Amino acid sequence: MHRLGQLESAIMERMWSRSGPVAVRDILEDIQRNRDIAYMTVKTVMDTLHRKGLLDREPDGRAFRYRPTQTREQHAAAHMQEVLASGSDRTATLLHFLEQIPADEVAQLRAVLDRAEQDKSQAGK
Amino acid sequence: MTAALLLITYAVAAAGAAPFLRKGTWAERSPKVGIIVWQSLSVTVIASVVLAGVMLAVPAMPFTMTLADFLRACVTVLQEQYSTPGGAAVTTAGALIAAAVTARTGYCLFSEFTSARTARRSQLRSLALLGRRDPSGHFLVVDHQTAAAYCLPGRNNEIVLTSAALAALDEGQRAAVIAHEKAHLRARHHVVVAAAKAIERAFPRVPAFSIAHSELVRLIEMDADDRAARSNARLTVATAMVRLAEAGPAPSAALGAGGTSALARVRRLAWPSAPLGRLHALVAVSAAAAMLILPPAVALTPAVSTAYAQTCPTGFPASI
Repeated sequence: MHRLGQLESAIMERMWSRSGPVAVRDILEDIQRNRDIAYMTVKTVMDTLHRKGLLDREPDGRAFRYRPTQTREQHAAAHMQEVLASGSDRTATLLHFLEQIPADEVAQLRAVLDRAEQDKSQAGK
Repeated sequence: MTAALLLITYAVAAAGAAPFLRKGTWAERSPKVGIIVWQSLSVTVIASVVLAGVMLAVPAMPFTMTLADFLRACVTVLQEQYSTPGGAAVTTAGALIAAAVTARTGYCLFSEFTSARTARRSQLRSLALLGRRDPSGHFLVVDHQTAAAYCLPGRNNEIVLTSAALAALDEGQRAAVIAHEKAHLRARHHVVVAAAKAIERAFPRVPAFSIAHSELVRLIEMDADDRAARSNARLTVATAMVRLAEAGPAPSAALGAGGTSALARVRRLAWPSAPLGRLHALVAVSAAAAMLILPPAVALTPAVSTAYAQTCPTGFPASI
């Protein structure tokens, strides 16, 4: 993953772990504990995340305070929904290990597997 | 004209053969051979129709040694073609068919590949935020209560497992799933699926193409199963499938009516039938090769025979 992506993910990680809106400075100080980084770099990426709809912001004096538009769980759920939807319409976007299977067929699958395991253990005797 | 009719008849016959080709277990026994045959079938149908159109539009062009001779002959042939009223109509129809089929196929291929790439990019961006790399480095983990395992092909190949999928599998089963997904990536199966889907979308009224698409979707899974079974026990691959199915998502109502191929996959993993014998595999691959060679060969034959007629000293003066 490229560096910008890493920074975006580092920032989102911190945004998600905090409750309530935060200023760029708070995130900056947090990241600076691990590495050297400029205020403008963090601000630019946070503005990008705002433009992408991942962060909301409200004016606070001369600056802004940011907060995630969705919780991490909501974001994951939306992501997975897209992933699973692509599994049922046979697109070429993703290749699933397994398509979605109706419940009665899952039981059939289990029955076939059990029989195969039985066969195998009998053959082994 | 004869060659064009021949090609059209052949295209209809090839497309009509699809439902019969789907029967039997030959493709399941050697999925790799099956993939080649089904792809060749789609190519041969489209190529025949396009070439038939071209041949109606462009009457048999003579095959001569010098450019001057060639051009002179072209003019003669074209003049003949257009001097008859039916000739012009046939020419126009042929050109239209060839252009329309080529354009439609090209457009759908292009849009399928670009939309898949765009969707993948957005998935990757979102994964950059959500996924964490497994300590093994082979795959990403996304925290989610639905079991799912998939790969994102393309330049940044990624394999993704949800936390629920990880929890459902033991170490051996996980290795089997990863091997299956790696096989997809290595064999570039997404290209096979994208092309088949694009062709189906381009000509939705041709059942052969939707049959080819669903067969290819089924066969790439079986091929990946076989490749995974090289480094893992077949029954482990099957067990991984069943465990993921049990922990997997409830299907949406929009699920295709064709049923799933999971049952067939588990069966052939549990009780493998012998792959196609060398002779049968050879027959199938030769048939695929013939399907690819036949349309251009038929299209070129009249040109060659005209060349013969034109260089033949007895026939040529009489025709002027």
